[in-house]
Amino acid sequence: MNAGMEFKLSHLQSMLLFALLISIAFGFLSRRRPIDRVKYVVWSLFLFLLIGVGIGWAMYPFSH
Amino acid sequence: MANETVVPAAVQQDSRRETIAFLIGVAGWLVPGLGHALLRMWGRAVMCFLTVGVLVILGAGMRGNVFSSSGNDAFDTLGFLADLGTGTFYLAARSLEANGADVSHAGGDYGTRFLATAGVLNLLAALHAYEAARGRKA
Repeated sequence: MNAGMEFKLSHLQSMLLFALLISIAFGFLSRRRPIDRVKYVVWSLFLFLLIGVGIGWAMYPFSH
Repeated sequence: MANETVVPAAVQQDSRRETIAFLIGVAGWLVPGLGHALLRMWGRAVMCFLTVGVLVILGAGMRGNVFSSSGNDAFDTLGFLADLGTGTFYLAARSLEANGADVSHAGGDYGTRFLATAGVLNLLAALHAYEAARGRKA
């Protein structure tokens, strides 16, 4: 194994990767037909990002 | 008379099916995607393996906390159980993270979540494979 492997991701990159991976996994587990999977992945990803950004903005006033 | 011979055979078949389903669930836990692969659900098998694998690699690469069994509190224990959900990938995460965890920055904290999510996601996939093997889900 490569002991020196290290990733430096921004908040946005981390959120995007997390949302994408989980959406794909949920889509494949919960739907059978390819078209249904694609719809589910896209919708799930959209909601993940919407809620993530929404919570981010909701916390913004408390960061100052 | 016919029923007396048919019923035990059906019960035996159910018991055998239950055992196979349990073994498939355990296989799916140990190696992400293996449970679905044994059921010839190739798309799900590949996706489980890849998503759990990428989450573990990212989590370890971001120097997230890979919890051990010697936790100090309930959260450490819960973290260990979640990480253990990745099966054999738990060992891979430990060996990937040769420099140890670093949660002093946001990346390390995200890495901890990535690892825990990989474990819980794999447990969900293993449960799905178990249910599919029992004929309850497809």
